Amino acid sequence: MVSSPNLSVEIGGLKLKNPVITASGTFGYGNELIPFYDPSLLGAIIVKGLSLRPMPGNPPPRIVETPCGLLNAIGLANIGIETFIEEKLPFLSKINTPIITNIYGHTIKDYAKMAKRIESVDRIAAIEINISCPNVEEGGMAFGTDPDIAAMVTDQVVKNTTKPVIVKLTPNVTDITIIAKAVESAGAKAISVTNTFLGMAVDVATRRPKLANITGGLSGPAIKPMALYLVHKVVANVKIPVIGLGGIMDYRDALEFLLVGARAIQVGTANLINPKTAMEIVNSLTDFCVREKISNINQIIGGLKVNGENHEKGGDKKNK
Amino acid sequence: MNKTLEEVVSIEFNRQIGIDTCLMGFRSTSLASLAKPGQFLMIHLGRETKDPLLRRPFSIHGIKDKNKLMILYRIIGKGTSLLSTFKEGDPISVIGPLGNGFNLPRPNERTLFVAGGMGIAPLFFLTQVLNEVQKHKFKMFLGFPTSQEVVLLDQLKDLNVDLSLTTEDGSLGIKGLVTDLLDQYLGQRLTKRPVIYACGPTPMLKKIAQKSFTFNLKCYVSLEGSMACGLGICQGCAVKAANSKDKPYYYVCQDGPVFPAEMIDWEVM
Repeated sequence: MVSSPNLSVEIGGLKLKNPVITASGTFGYGNELIPFYDPSLLGAIIVKGLSLRPMPGNPPPRIVETPCGLLNAIGLANIGIETFIEEKLPFLSKINTPIITNIYGHTIKDYAKMAKRIESVDRIAAIEINISCPNVEEGGMAFGTDPDIAAMVTDQVVKNTTKPVIVKLTPNVTDITIIAKAVESAGAKAISVTNTFLGMAVDVATRRPKLANITGGLSGPAIKPMALYLVHKVVANVKIPVIGLGGIMDYRDALEFLLVGARAIQVGTANLINPKTAMEIVNSLTDFCVREKISNINQIIGGLKVNGENHEKGGDKKNK
Repeated sequence: MNKTLEEVVSIEFNRQIGIDTCLMGFRSTSLASLAKPGQFLMIHLGRETKDPLLRRPFSIHGIKDKNKLMILYRIIGKGTSLLSTFKEGDPISVIGPLGNGFNLPRPNERTLFVAGGMGIAPLFFLTQVLNEVQKHKFKMFLGFPTSQEVVLLDQLKDLNVDLSLTTEDGSLGIKGLVTDLLDQYLGQRLTKRPVIYACGPTPMLKKIAQKSFTFNLKCYVSLEGSMACGLGICQGCAVKAANSKDKPYYYVCQDGPVFPAEMIDWEVM
């Protein structure tokens, strides 16, 4: 009988009490979901993507629901890093779990400047680099689809901080492993897979795109099988930990990502629907481990069985 | 910050009261004690439901016996179709009350309510609350496309409402739009300047806002927005601010849904 299983995992030197993290842009700046539960229960919190200066975001409509999915083109509306540090961080500092900032730059220099600024802020535990937002004109995904530029951005951030650097990748590339390997070589301590998939929706009556931005990024259960596949693929090609995300709605989804080798998972769109999702996943993972007599969550990570064997260098053999 | 709750409530009734129009009620003493007119709820359409995926926002339509909340909705899509199949006793998860709600008029202020279609939902709650504190009649212009869509006439008669009804095809009440009535009304010499409270389709609100500027009247509009969370997190429900220097966009869920008309940039609406 396992009374309290050990759910802690390590991501690039960062110790998390459990593998459940909130995804950027779906947990605000931390205070919005306070009425619902104590965020200290989570493995870590990734706050809304920040840029050097405030960004207004895109014109509306910014979101549209599609079958099992959410298509968004928010356009990284945010208050800017300085206002975040002054106004939001004091509150976040009271939360007893690592705070990770997600950063976005228009230029490579922006990323470097932000990394330098964050380096001086003790309460921020790690940096997640966003080179994968599909809804901004410059930077964002443009940096994440070219392995050389992705490596340059990573390198510039790593050079300006001693904190662990996580790179969040876009799925909108032909071979995600090339980008993954490039950012690993450049010093990334972990990789988040994956940001949203490019998509669009059309209003037949008006013959107009449903989003003012024309295209958006798709998230939610609709993308889970594709995200899971990408995690599986990246895990087989890099040595650094992979954080899995894409359509995780409950603990069973989380387990799928852990089984293909994700060291931790992020809950995104589900936070918007049921604000307690991340906390419920932590509780259900604990219950699951107790039920299955698993003393340590690491026993599950990468435990995918392929032809009766544990999957180690799984890759995508079947597809070759 | 307003107090916000997530509660799984049991449906007391969910019945059709007109063509494609339903009234749903559920019991929650805590939500009922917090709710103010103009605020809204995010309603989940079932924990295992992934399509439709998101919660749906609904204005609070009224409170009964201090422990029952009601929403009024039209079946227009996948979400509301599914909602209309819920039966008495079914559990649903509700988050609320959300948003700012209406600023109540001062006791001797003249008020004018203008509602288009389901825009009656929050204004009904407002008249219900005002009815308890004010003695004089409230003037209301209420419009629907045809007589078939008209609902709530009896309930409005019970409240202290001086109602003028319009239908676009003239099948009931006055033929035309509520904004036509507003034109006529504002064309008269008014002894007292009314404060306008409006809710309905965006083109209607735009017309009313512009009228309020012309006649220099205070006007509150309750807006709709595509939103995923209703909690200020997704930032989906942006509306352009009139004076965008300080804040380029407002969020319907947090800064609204009720806005003084002059706060909104109507050019892009």
